[in-house]
Amino acid sequence: MSTFDEQDLEQILRSRPAEPRQLLPLLQDIQARFRHLPKEALLATAERLSLPPARVFAAACFYRAFSLTPKGERLVAVCQGTACHLRGGQAVTESLEKRLGLKIGQTSADGRYGLESVNCLGACALAPVATVDGVVHGHLTPDAAAELI
Amino acid sequence: MTKQQFIHVDADATVKPMPQTSDLVSGTIDGREVAVPWGTTLLEAAASIGTVIPTLCHHPALPPDGNCRLCLVEVDSRLAASCLFPLRRSGFSVSTESPKVFEARAFVLKLLLSRAPNDEYLKELAVKYEAAPDPRLGDLADGCVRCGRCVRACQATGTEAISLVGRSQERQVTGPFFEPPAQCVGCLACAKVCPTGYIVFSEERTSRSIWGRDFEMVLCPICGEPVGSLQELARAGAAEELCPACRRRAMASALVSGPGLSL
Repeated sequence: MSTFDEQDLEQILRSRPAEPRQLLPLLQDIQARFRHLPKEALLATAERLSLPPARVFAAACFYRAFSLTPKGERLVAVCQGTACHLRGGQAVTESLEKRLGLKIGQTSADGRYGLESVNCLGACALAPVATVDGVVHGHLTPDAAAELI
Repeated sequence: MTKQQFIHVDADATVKPMPQTSDLVSGTIDGREVAVPWGTTLLEAAASIGTVIPTLCHHPALPPDGNCRLCLVEVDSRLAASCLFPLRRSGFSVSTESPKVFEARAFVLKLLLSRAPNDEYLKELAVKYEAAPDPRLGDLADGCVRCGRCVRACQATGTEAISLVGRSQERQVTGPFFEPPAQCVGCLACAKVCPTGYIVFSEERTSRSIWGRDFEMVLCPICGEPVGSLQELARAGAAEELCPACRRRAMASALVSGPGLSL
């Protein structure tokens, strides 16, 4: 579910004390629940924590873990780090782009898949790597990558 | 959710007392002896002996941010942003124009010029430091150097309607959701502190526009001159207000003719 639900939002907001330091935890909860940060949710968060919307919006835009538009149900992240790049990461990226019909950073029209890049997953020994919903797949070839989907 | 644990450390009886701001620290800036109160920033210390360090994001009425890096100087052979550098120990040795500083400042200017190539102040400095915009950076010239003075001014007024949003080259000053900021009261503080004139506004006798929003002006009930925007004065807790000139006149006549000031 990624559709905005006021009751769910209310529940998330009430799960933590109304203190400014709860801003990032709340945004993480909202991102996890709605797969993005809806405008209504950011405004409600600002109100709940008595923070200016400008500050909440700046925080929401600063971290790559947050998104203002819905991310795909299944998230495919392909590593663009140095080790992965040297071991064929670019070909893996292109294979995934072709398989999903998406460019890096895009989400499919039906909202089922999202493709993004990461700068390093810290699994350089397994290069080239990609993750699907957080599960790491290493030693990928373009063909093996396409089969992940 | 587990409660975070904080470790409280009792103050060590042998710890030296915090220096008082009245304590002086001394050292040299470009070879000249200087003594300033403990905690004075290097920038202020240099100014106290007439040494001008170029600044851009610094504004005396706003908290220092150190983001433009123009005020870099060499402190004990390391580079430091002088606007943020508090002097807390005697014996410092500062160079404000060493070859290292010159080189660093030229690089910083190159970056700033990529954003605001037509700014007169930057152009002047560019001549001195032989800096030019770097074509490899692409066309970034929108006139804003991302110094955040506007954001700090807006915070200082307690409004905080705008913020610096995004990272790297996408960083920009904007209202929430890239929309005209609902919290803006039209006080123009942001535009007044902008060093490059990037923040535009228009003003007429009865109205004012900034950040894509229009504000109605409050006129002085005596002379009819605009005093401020309706929202700005409401925020300051003064719905009806005389303009500064009329207020002075009213106070002066009260002093002359009345039994005393009732203000």
